[in-house]
Amino acid sequence: MNPPGPLEKEDEHLSTPILGPSVHSDNPQERIQARRLRIAARLEARRREALGECLDGKKESEEDQSKSYKQKEESRLKLAKLLLCGTELVTNIQVATDIREIQRRVEEEEIKRQRLEKLENEVKTSQDKFDEITAKWEEGKQKKIAQDLWDMLNTQQLHCAGLIEDKNKLISELQQELKTKDDQYVKDLKKQADDICLLLERMEEQVKNVMKTFRQELSHIEKAYEVERQELLSSNKKKWERALQAHNTKELEYLVNRIKKVEEYEKQLSKQRIWDCEEYNTIKIKLEQDVQILEQQLQQMKATYQLNQEKLEYNFQVLKKRDEESTVIKSQQKRKINRLHDILNNLRSRYTKQIKQFQEENQSLTLDYKRLVMQFKELQRAMRHFALIDEEKFREIWLMNEEEAKDLIGRAFDVDRIIHTHHLGLPWTAPDFWFLKNIGPISQQPRKSATEIVEEVLMQTEEEGSEETMSEPESYLDLPKQVSAKTTRKVLMLLCDESGFLIESKLLSLLLPLEKSECYLLRLDAIFSALGIESEDDLYKLVNFFVKYRAHHLPSGQENQISSITDKRSYHTSKKSWLSELAKSRSHNERSSVMAAPESVEKLPVEAGKKKNLSEGKQEVQSSPRLIHPNDVLKALEAFVMGLNKPRDPRTPLKKRKEVRDDSKDSEYWKALTMVIPPAKQNLWDALYTALEKYHLILTERAKLLLENDSLEQQNTELQMLLQQYLDSKINSELQVPPTQVFRVPTK
Amino acid sequence: MQDNLTPQLMPAFSRPSDTAQDQSTTGKATSTAPQPVNPTVLIPPIKSKGLNASNVRRMRRIIAEDAEWSLAIVPLLSELCIQHIVKNFQNNPVLKQLLPEHQQKVLDHLSPDLPLTVTANLIEDENYWRRCCAQRWVCHVARHGGSWKRMFFERHLENLLKQFIPGTTDPTVILDLLPLCKNYVRRIQVDQFLHPSVSAPPRDGDQSDSGSEGEMEEYSTDHYQLRDLVAGLKHLEELDLVYGVKDCGMNFEWNLFLFTYHDCHSLAATIKACHTLKVFRLTRSRVDDDKARILIRSLLDHPALEELDLSHNLIGDRGVRAAAKLLSHSRLRVLNLANNQVRAPGAQSLAHALAHNTNLVTLNLRLNCIEDEGGQALAHALQTNKCLTTLHLGGNELSEPTATLLSQVLSVNTVLTSINLSCNHIGLDGGKQLLEGMSDNKTLLEFDLRLSDVAQESEYLIGQALQANREAARQRALNPSHFMSPTTNGPENPAG
Repeated sequence: MNPPGPLEKEDEHLSTPILGPSVHSDNPQERIQARRLRIAARLEARRREALGECLDGKKESEEDQSKSYKQKEESRLKLAKLLLCGTELVTNIQVATDIREIQRRVEEEEIKRQRLEKLENEVKTSQDKFDEITAKWEEGKQKKIAQDLWDMLNTQQLHCAGLIEDKNKLISELQQELKTKDDQYVKDLKKQADDICLLLERMEEQVKNVMKTFRQELSHIEKAYEVERQELLSSNKKKWERALQAHNTKELEYLVNRIKKVEEYEKQLSKQRIWDCEEYNTIKIKLEQDVQILEQQLQQMKATYQLNQEKLEYNFQVLKKRDEESTVIKSQQKRKINRLHDILNNLRSRYTKQIKQFQEENQSLTLDYKRLVMQFKELQRAMRHFALIDEEKFREIWLMNEEEAKDLIGRAFDVDRIIHTHHLGLPWTAPDFWFLKNIGPISQQPRKSATEIVEEVLMQTEEEGSEETMSEPESYLDLPKQVSAKTTRKVLMLLCDESGFLIESKLLSLLLPLEKSECYLLRLDAIFSALGIESEDDLYKLVNFFVKYRAHHLPSGQENQISSITDKRSYHTSKKSWLSELAKSRSHNERSSVMAAPESVEKLPVEAGKKKNLSEGKQEVQSSPRLIHPNDVLKALEAFVMGLNKPRDPRTPLKKRKEVRDDSKDSEYWKALTMVIPPAKQNLWDALYTALEKYHLILTERAKLLLENDSLEQQNTELQMLLQQYLDSKINSELQVPPTQVFRVPTK
Repeated sequence: MQDNLTPQLMPAFSRPSDTAQDQSTTGKATSTAPQPVNPTVLIPPIKSKGLNASNVRRMRRIIAEDAEWSLAIVPLLSELCIQHIVKNFQNNPVLKQLLPEHQQKVLDHLSPDLPLTVTANLIEDENYWRRCCAQRWVCHVARHGGSWKRMFFERHLENLLKQFIPGTTDPTVILDLLPLCKNYVRRIQVDQFLHPSVSAPPRDGDQSDSGSEGEMEEYSTDHYQLRDLVAGLKHLEELDLVYGVKDCGMNFEWNLFLFTYHDCHSLAATIKACHTLKVFRLTRSRVDDDKARILIRSLLDHPALEELDLSHNLIGDRGVRAAAKLLSHSRLRVLNLANNQVRAPGAQSLAHALAHNTNLVTLNLRLNCIEDEGGQALAHALQTNKCLTTLHLGGNELSEPTATLLSQVLSVNTVLTSINLSCNHIGLDGGKQLLEGMSDNKTLLEFDLRLSDVAQESEYLIGQALQANREAARQRALNPSHFMSPTTNGPENPAG
């Protein structure tokens, strides 16, 4: 068993370097050892302390400052060491017991193992022996002879006794061991008691020791403090005394110095006094003189003062007078100002009144003006309206009259033809006059506006894809001869693309959602309005200008372009002539159908037109890059606008002339209409009329005679009928003599 | 001094008490008021120590005038009343109703022999309880939380438990005390439980040396069951038990130290039910693996337990494995398994639990046999552990390989402050390696290598390194805490 463990709680501190041999020795020796250890530990502690001090420079410097601190630190380290060593010394016992216990355990284990081995061996051998004995029993049973049996029994007995003896021996051995163990236990108990005693002793010693050393160290520290205090006191006292002495000597020095200085100052003072007195006297005399002079001056000054005062008085009076005068003038001026102010106000009011009046007047006048303008506009509108109506009416009346006249002329011609063919037996030819073909009033064709043309052109080009050829001839009718529609279109497109700056941005934004062609149209409209192009002519001028401009600037591309143009022109002319011929051939039968003719006939030249178109297209494709370069468009445009502005002025009369109808040819026309039948023919007709009258009379007489003949013939037949009736009647038969017999009817 | 004076004054006070009773109404109010008695009758100089200064002055003045001074004085009525109260305290305890100064006087004069039923819940005064303790024991009040009253009850209960003999002693003796002491007892420390068969003779350890008891193997029943007692103590924090007999000497019998299964189960249930328990010690009680497992199972997930001490038992690897499990299922801070039969597997399981434990601060495996295998496992665990500060591996058959690993741990670990490797076979090379490890360590304060075959030189150098570490720690703490640790341990040595 271990000693009950109060020691477990103790901390095991740093181990001392020397311990080993003392553990297993007896108590006194161990005690001596322990003391030695302690002494060694203390020595070492001091040594280490010194070492620590050497190592720690900071501490050293601190220790230099105070002995007490040094002592304190020293004591602390010493005590720490002491405590460490003490606890170690005490715990050494525990450690020793621990190791003893471990050794004991190891030994015990070994012994146990040996014992077990031994027991096992014993068991084995005894088992063998027992087996032998039991085997012999079997043997013995077979023995018949008593002698043998007895012998065998004897031997068996011997064997058994041996076995038992062995066992007994073992038991006694074990018991012996047990006894020794008991002894060991007692010894252990004693040892434990001893250990505890030792432990207690050491502890007590440690406590005493610690107490002693603590006291010692405390006294040391106190002493150190005392010494330090004494030292401090003495040193301070010395300092104080030294300081006092120094102070005293200095005081003395100062005193002596002061006395010396006082004497010096006194001397100086007396000197100064004498000097001052002298100076005072001289100054006094001087000052008195000065005073006299000043008094004289004062008198003089007073005199001048008097004089000046009088002068000033006079001046003051004068100024007062003047002041009064000026006040009077001031008041006058004020009054004047007031009056003028009043006038100004009056004028102002009048001015405002007048302004108001004029404003009103102005307003009324503007209103009048507006009203008049409105009226004028209305009048204009009405006039335009009436002009239109008039024109229409005029046209209608014209047409009506014309129709009537033509009707009459037709009848006349019919009559003439009948006369010629039936009565005279002559062939008749219809007379050909220019006025016969005329329909409607004789006048110039109305001019189209530039935009209309453009629209036309564009529409036409748009339609080109589907019915290119169909629309072509119609459009070319309107175009001037120099320029083709395509060129125009190209030029216009170019213009549209390049001069977008002329269009308002608002319009552009509005145009965005529209179709391409419409967009172009509107754009061009805007551009034209900006450029001042209004009429067809202007447009053609523009196109021509462009073409020329390009031709002028691009002589290489000129020929081609011109050739294409001429080509087209020839085509147009041929087509036109062909059309007029066709119209003439038809005019005999239906004059009115002339207008519709081109439409119906158009189909014929389609073939020819197509071919030409193809070649034209090619040429166009070739010539298109030779069109005016987009960069030059602006220059050209500028030049054109400059040129256009010049003939702008005489445009107003041109407009007026447009409105007045040219009626010079009308009377001529109408007269010509009346003169359709020439006078020679009228004479002929008169002669013919009289002759025919006569022929008519004869014919009427003949007709009367024929009628008479007819009536007579009828009477004859009636009479024959009546006769027949009589002959056929029954009375005749009854009659004795029938009449029939009488006579014979000549008719049968 | 006060105690010495009272018996002298007693007769003097008691005699005139009847006459003074009439004046009690006037005189009781203030003790300093003018005395209604004759001016010649004065307080003796002996009593002046107990009274205040004004009386002393007056007394002196009058002594000079009156030559006929007599000792037979009439004491104050209040004094008389207090005397009376003290005398009859057992029958009529009047304390709380008194003025504080009178209360103090009463308490000063009360006898420590008064029955506990009267005093236990009535008297709080430490002085009284100090007298009670001093009368009975040599006292170290510091070990009872500085409270004399607590100490009195704890020691009293301890004595009762120590002398309790199951079957013969009446259990009400202890249970009667329960309502009186339940508020004060925080620790039960019993270092012997008498066996029922030990009928009369061994009252205490003093008599056991005579060796009178002979036959004990009649029937071995169980020890005293703590269950009822522990359930009643609501502040119990520490349980320190030894199932054994003290000082049996040559009368040793194994039966005396038998910790039966029934005891074990009962104890397990007891500690499981006690939720305030912080420290549980069961030492020298021949607890084997099975019993240890029973106990530890009951401690799993215990809400308060911080220290478990099962030293000096027979716990083997299985028991240790259970303890290792407990480590991860509790907030255990101290585990003491010294002097058991722990071998390498047990140490390995402990190491496994230790590797990621964050509660355990102290581990004691002294006098086991974990050998190098277990030591290496523990060293590996210490490389990851960040909590353990104290490790005792003394007497564990460790040798050089463990030392090699430990030296690595020393250079890495910054938590360990104390390692004990005494009584191992570290060897010269192991010592050198440990020295190398120490050269990198700045936190270790204690390193015991006694009797471990380490060269004196390396041991000395390690000692110096430790010294430097301690100085550094002292500087860090800026107060002499370094001094405190040895001195606090000092008084415990003689006490054990």
